[in-house]
Amino acid sequence: MSEPATSSEEHRLIELFKQGHEDAMEDIISRYEEALYNFGLRMCGQKQDAEDIIQDTFLSAYRYLDSFREETSLKNWLYKIAANACFRMRRKKKCEPDYELSLEDLLPGDGSADTFDIPDWTEDPSENLLRNELKTVIEEAVHELPPLYRMVFNLRDMEGFSTEETATIMDITPQAVKTRLHRARLFLRQTISERYRKDVAHA
Amino acid sequence: MHEGCMKHAEHISEFLDGELDEAACEEIRAHLRDCPACRNCLESLKKTVEVLRRLPRETVPADIKQRLRASLRECMTQGGPTRA
Repeated sequence: MSEPATSSEEHRLIELFKQGHEDAMEDIISRYEEALYNFGLRMCGQKQDAEDIIQDTFLSAYRYLDSFREETSLKNWLYKIAANACFRMRRKKKCEPDYELSLEDLLPGDGSADTFDIPDWTEDPSENLLRNELKTVIEEAVHELPPLYRMVFNLRDMEGFSTEETATIMDITPQAVKTRLHRARLFLRQTISERYRKDVAHA
Repeated sequence: MHEGCMKHAEHISEFLDGELDEAACEEIRAHLRDCPACRNCLESLKKTVEVLRRLPRETVPADIKQRLRASLRECMTQGGPTRA
């Protein structure tokens, strides 16, 4: 027999909600608001947009939780709603065109000549400035990814979903997830390395 | 990048993620043993993924939490959920 899609505690919250205890929705919000807020922030880059994403997600979840049959986990169901909220927001803004990343542009022309300086997170609290700089460099690089690549990267590498789960959430094939993830990682390697090199040169 | 390297470079992420079958993994491992440029490519990509995965999370600002719960309560008083 396969594993249940949702944990027993979350199943209990869903059942409580379906029995009319609508306050169970507040417990669901408390479990997922931070993760979904960060997902929204990385997808859209602005606090206001991330707020709109979580409002949209949890209010839709409240409206439709009653018909949720738990064929997937509560987490995956919420992320699917959030991903659709991101797509809707993008359509509304009409200012962020999607384009394909070319593998040829992201791989070194001559392997021996290209090195990538990828910095490490320092654990030293006195180096907070350095940590904040690195955080900014990474966030900006993530935001420069074309939206579809950014979503695949966020779901796979930041949220920890599997290839199959990401494919289901985004309604694309597992192969498209693999291709986009690889190109997103190559793009981020290149962008972070270039920015870091520039920052070091200016330091 | 050489043609032989290009063929393997397309699958480096799948290799890192353990998503290739054993035969494909062995083919890549054999190539890596002979190709310093591809070893460099693999290591820098691995490091990129590690750094990205450790990106700190933001906490949700208190005013955003309050507005979310206020919207939920408003929804509850205005007709409630869509009952199946």
